[in-house]
Amino acid sequence: MDLSFSPEHQRFRAEVRGWLAAHLERPWIEELRDPANGPDELFEIRRRWQARLHAAGYLGMDWPEAWGGRGATAVEKAILAEELFRTDAPPIPNVLGISLLGPALIHHGSEEQRQRFLPKMLAAEEIWCQGFSEPDAGSDLAALRTRAEPDGEHFRLTGQKVWTTFGPWADWIFALARTDPKDRHGGITFFLVPLHQDGIEVRPIRQVTGEGEFGEVFFDGALARREHVVGQLGEGWRIAMTVLAYERGAMSLAYPAQYDRYLADLVDGVRANGTFERPDVRETLARLVVENEVLRANGLRNLATLASGRAPGPEASTEKIFWSEYARRLSDAALDLLGPEAQLRCRSPHARPHMDWAYEALWSRAGTIYAGSSEIQRNIIAKRVLKLPTD
Amino acid sequence: MQFDLDEDRALLKSSTRELLDKESALSDARRVMEEEPEGFSRAFHGQLGQLGYLGLAVPEAEGGSGAGPLGLVAVLHEMGRVALPGPYLDLVCAGEALRRAENEEAARWLAALVAGEKLVLPAERESAEGVVPLPPRTRFARGRVKGRKSFVPYGASADALLVTCVEGLALVPRPEAGWSSRPLETLDHAQRFVEMELDAPGVLVAEEPRSDAVLAAASRLGCLGAAALLLGLAERCLELSVGYLTERKAFGVPIGSLQALQHRAADMLLRVESTRSAVYRAAWSEEHDPDRAPYLVAVAKVYAGESARLVCGETIQLFGGVGFTWEYDPHIYYKRVKTLEQRYGRTRDALEIALAHSGL
Repeated sequence: MDLSFSPEHQRFRAEVRGWLAAHLERPWIEELRDPANGPDELFEIRRRWQARLHAAGYLGMDWPEAWGGRGATAVEKAILAEELFRTDAPPIPNVLGISLLGPALIHHGSEEQRQRFLPKMLAAEEIWCQGFSEPDAGSDLAALRTRAEPDGEHFRLTGQKVWTTFGPWADWIFALARTDPKDRHGGITFFLVPLHQDGIEVRPIRQVTGEGEFGEVFFDGALARREHVVGQLGEGWRIAMTVLAYERGAMSLAYPAQYDRYLADLVDGVRANGTFERPDVRETLARLVVENEVLRANGLRNLATLASGRAPGPEASTEKIFWSEYARRLSDAALDLLGPEAQLRCRSPHARPHMDWAYEALWSRAGTIYAGSSEIQRNIIAKRVLKLPTD
Repeated sequence: MQFDLDEDRALLKSSTRELLDKESALSDARRVMEEEPEGFSRAFHGQLGQLGYLGLAVPEAEGGSGAGPLGLVAVLHEMGRVALPGPYLDLVCAGEALRRAENEEAARWLAALVAGEKLVLPAERESAEGVVPLPPRTRFARGRVKGRKSFVPYGASADALLVTCVEGLALVPRPEAGWSSRPLETLDHAQRFVEMELDAPGVLVAEEPRSDAVLAAASRLGCLGAAALLLGLAERCLELSVGYLTERKAFGVPIGSLQALQHRAADMLLRVESTRSAVYRAAWSEEHDPDRAPYLVAVAKVYAGESARLVCGETIQLFGGVGFTWEYDPHIYYKRVKTLEQRYGRTRDALEIALAHSGL
């Protein structure tokens, strides 16, 4: 058993820290607080930050060098994510493209697709959004109804996608559409579709936080080129399900590092409001500390398993439930222990300098829904890990 | 990086499982609980001594088997799985205190303890009152220990007691007339606690305040060990639950196909796996990251205690009516969990240690 980082890993962490100290001008919370930054400015800050990360070689790290990667290990990737979360660096806009579409192209795409799309995706020259969910196909994704019909050198897509993060700023969408209405799973194909064309309308969706990062995408005979089908016709479901596995381990250390930062702000606030010595307050804080440390223990175990060349163990399947449900408890506690100041959004007078707890309290309600709801995660654990009977 | 145990300790763990399956399976735990007045099998205890199990945490240079905290945790993990009855962890704690006492008399008793020849048990608490043991009133004077101790684990079977006194930590061999002890009837029918009147010759093996450090080291090892037992208890309960959910039919289907129950089982898995991560990480830190060990051990104990209570409690619930019978096994696990959560660093105190050491 060895849960320590090797000298190479420690060197890599030092390198990342040095780079961040030199290049991260201000943490994301400060950009959010700046009244000069509207939604478009904030998006451009994210785009520029992604371009800098890419220029430094910190994106697509585990991809082969031929497509802009550096062949890094899962541990290095996790260390980078940890440092980015620890320092509150701006979130990159192509996060879904890089984490989902990138591996899909590397493992299932054509060489032409990789050359055409991967470099611009990494450089944030083209922004991608994800077109999986539909109004009637969320947790039951295979119920999707957007259809794609052949039309010469193209397919024509008709239907509607929702919850397309960064849809309003995106140039391309990677979308699942039905090429065979009769085959539930085998009738789904993976398409790359340019958004700037007739036959596509993108509308922003306003979230409970007030922001509008999501969108709806309406296809009305939108064109996708035949050579922009990823894999074969009817392989879309299989590809979509396998790419979800490639990202495992990447965030193992990032969430605990982020929650360390949140906990530090919470404890600062509790010290300042004079309640840190109250036993009930200490118990609440201690439980939050313990759970975050256990989340980190799971992450270290997950990484150690990957690093020793093994498939992720059962602890990996619990990661999403753990961090997303923990995030709700953490922000609930902050609103409880900090009082009214935790209800202030970051641009309000008297807002806390390092945290927007009001935003977190609302945003934490999304984490248990997106990317496989907590209920779907529990179904998966019951069936695949515990192998409980299906009926 | 590597999460798996090294070869030696993986072998120790697997051979412990074989030994327990053969010599002290759960059916034996039940027999001991129901029939054995001492609450454990003397024969099996002797075997543990011969095989080196009582000196796992003692370095080889001091006569132990030098398996370290990770080896100890691996073994206790297995012992938890069969809800092993008896004073094993209390002996480990007493052994650690004897070792840290750095005293000739203590060293002699440690050797006998490690060999499985003598039982040395800790006697700390003086009454059932007080959530943590109150400061001792027991006195050591002119070579005699005088006072009253309560909740002494397996005290009636002890060859010697390690007694906390106002003056420090005293070793009290069993007097020729035997102990004056009264059994306590407690929540866990498989454990034996007694209260004792002491008035017997003894030796002060560590004087106050040095005795505080000795006791702290022993109690941290107990805390880690209890977390490992809790892991084993919870892990086995999850297996029992999955088995029952798969076999038991209601409404014409296996009940494990019902989503309400599947989701509860998924939460149990999350708890068991996360406890595994936390407990082994804490044991690893005792060997490789000692500065962080007090924090990580407290984290593991809190999480293991609450998780095992949840998992073993859910097991009773998932079994339904039979889960509440003496005949079925879940209660054996649940009772052990409930007591372990309160002993060897109860949850509330471990929470405070975790926060105090968190750096926040």
